[in-house]
Amino acid sequence: MQVFKVFFRIIKKNLGELSVYMIIFLVLAVLLSSINTGSQYNEFAQTKSKIAFINNDKTSALTDGLRDYLNENAIIADIKNDERTLQDALFYRDIEYIVKVPSGFSDKFYNGEKAEIEITKVPDSISGVYMDNMVEKYLNTARIYINNMKNISGEKLTQYIQKDLSKTANVNLSAADAVQTKKYLYYYNYAAYSLSAILILGVCIVMFVFNKLDIKRRNLCSPLKNSSINMQLILGNLTLSLGAWLIIVITSIIIYRKDMFTISGGLFILNLLVFTIAMLSISFLISNIVKSRPATSAAANVVALGSSFIGGVFVPQYLLGAKVLTIASFTPTYWYVKSNNIISSLAVYNAQTLKPVFTNMLIVFAFAVAVLAITLVVMKQRKTVS
Amino acid sequence: MVIKVENLVKRYGDLIALDHFNVEVQEGEILGLLGPNGSGKTTAINCILSLLKYDKGSIEIFGRPMSPSAYDIKRNIGIIMQNVAVFEELTVYENIDYFCGLYVTDKSHRKMLVDEAIDFVGLNDFRKFYPKKLSGGLLRRLNIACGIAHKPKLIILDEPTVAVDPQSRNNILEGILKLNKDGSTVVYTSHYMEEVEHICSRIVIMDKGKTIASGTNDELKSMIKSGEKITIEIFNFNAKILSDLKNMKNIVSCEFADNHLIVKSMRGENNLMVLLEYLKSNNIAFGKIYSEPPTLNDVFLEITGKELRD
Repeated sequence: MQVFKVFFRIIKKNLGELSVYMIIFLVLAVLLSSINTGSQYNEFAQTKSKIAFINNDKTSALTDGLRDYLNENAIIADIKNDERTLQDALFYRDIEYIVKVPSGFSDKFYNGEKAEIEITKVPDSISGVYMDNMVEKYLNTARIYINNMKNISGEKLTQYIQKDLSKTANVNLSAADAVQTKKYLYYYNYAAYSLSAILILGVCIVMFVFNKLDIKRRNLCSPLKNSSINMQLILGNLTLSLGAWLIIVITSIIIYRKDMFTISGGLFILNLLVFTIAMLSISFLISNIVKSRPATSAAANVVALGSSFIGGVFVPQYLLGAKVLTIASFTPTYWYVKSNNIISSLAVYNAQTLKPVFTNMLIVFAFAVAVLAITLVVMKQRKTVS
Repeated sequence: MVIKVENLVKRYGDLIALDHFNVEVQEGEILGLLGPNGSGKTTAINCILSLLKYDKGSIEIFGRPMSPSAYDIKRNIGIIMQNVAVFEELTVYENIDYFCGLYVTDKSHRKMLVDEAIDFVGLNDFRKFYPKKLSGGLLRRLNIACGIAHKPKLIILDEPTVAVDPQSRNNILEGILKLNKDGSTVVYTSHYMEEVEHICSRIVIMDKGKTIASGTNDELKSMIKSGEKITIEIFNFNAKILSDLKNMKNIVSCEFADNHLIVKSMRGENNLMVLLEYLKSNNIAFGKIYSEPPTLNDVFLEITGKELRD
């Protein structure tokens, strides 16, 4: 295993340059993933709006019931029944909603006549819509009982309404882990850049050394079979790639702990593995094209940065133009990031939801196979020429 | 016989690099392949090592046909390439260990061989140095150590002293003689005739892909008409001296430049005495006198009509 050992001695000698990409990635990934916590929530806490309730009608069970109901879901401020005072309170957002029961409202309502409550609210406010719904819900319920139960007493009416409106339903938020997924989405998206740069640089550095004509001829003079040399180089490349992949995965487990041991975590890891294979294949092709050591660094930066920019690693894909995305679709980075985005948005895992994820992974794998085929053609062409 | 090459032909399009080249290397000898740049020495070596495909001919090493998959044969060959073939990323020790490891799998045995090779080329003080830190001469020594560490039966050195300082050159040449003394057969290519004359027991002179002469140093020199070259410092030179000398028997050529008369004579006659008698009888004052036997360059010049270093 002389060739394999030397492979990693060469890597060790260039570890400084290689680890720069890994360190930058880890720092960036940790920082950015902690900043970008996403906009989804996994908890619900009811908020209460401040409102004013002005009753210009006589005291009745209907209006009292309405006041009590609103009091349960909002904070009724004690404000003087004066038009200017009410308007000022609304302007300064001391209150957000004014419910004004006009004179004769209760009688009209019981008699089935048109009866309307006067509403004043902050324009386009969410609390306004919320309060509208509550008032409407109360009055609609009352209307149903009055229409269907002739001579129902005020007491009974408020009792029924209260009972109906107090009914609640338990809701389970099935996509509760979406917030965490968002965090490691950034981590795994950024991983594409660093992994690309590390693999292109690492593979090219080593292959450049072994492809030097003098070294190649010297190896060919030895009793070591050419196939054995190639196998050891392939093994070295695979070990390097899997090593880089493993470092990224282990770091994600350290940062996100048990969240990585979920279905989505597993999918992210698998997606990165497929991407690693594709990038290894691309790195191998570049190593057969690049002819100098400085060109290796240039290729690593251009390919890794370029594909990351247009593939949606640094800028979300939905912000990129259609033409850019069309061009990006010719890189595995685009499909890798696309898969990550889909995995991140999944709450339910079944054949239907996972189909696009695995389709994208297959496309990335197809890239690996196609690029490897091109590389073999390039190598054969070179051999024929030499 | 260690190497037997018969009628080897290698063409690069219209260019014939090897034109029915023949060579035989006997066990225990140092065979020198001498020829100007482009004469086909390296092409011949590359064909012998199966690094190049050839168009016609046959190559046998240790009595068996040589091919790219003749790993048993390769196991007993040590190769020192014209260009230094070492890893910049490995230290002196690691480089020798790598190349030795291609032949020797046993770790402890290999360690011993690597230490011996380092000793042999005198790189003990540079074991942990990276090639970039070594001078040209030391780098060549490392290249040799990488080629001979596994103690091969046959060592092929392709111009190992190009761009090397005199001290390292002597070290390399002495090393080759020692390797040969220890039992290795050596094939040495060079365009430096002095080196070839110094170390080789047999010499093959090549030009345009062909063997133009072969034999020992003395055998080659006895093939040509030219004998010694006499250089005389003369203070009062006149044209008559040149015309008199040119008419003398056994004188091949004579010329005068920078107060020095250079006379080339035919082989085997006592020309120096004749010349001195001529100078004395004509009262021509002279200073220093040098007499040089013919060189391989003279052999090459006489056969091809051009200088070896052209």
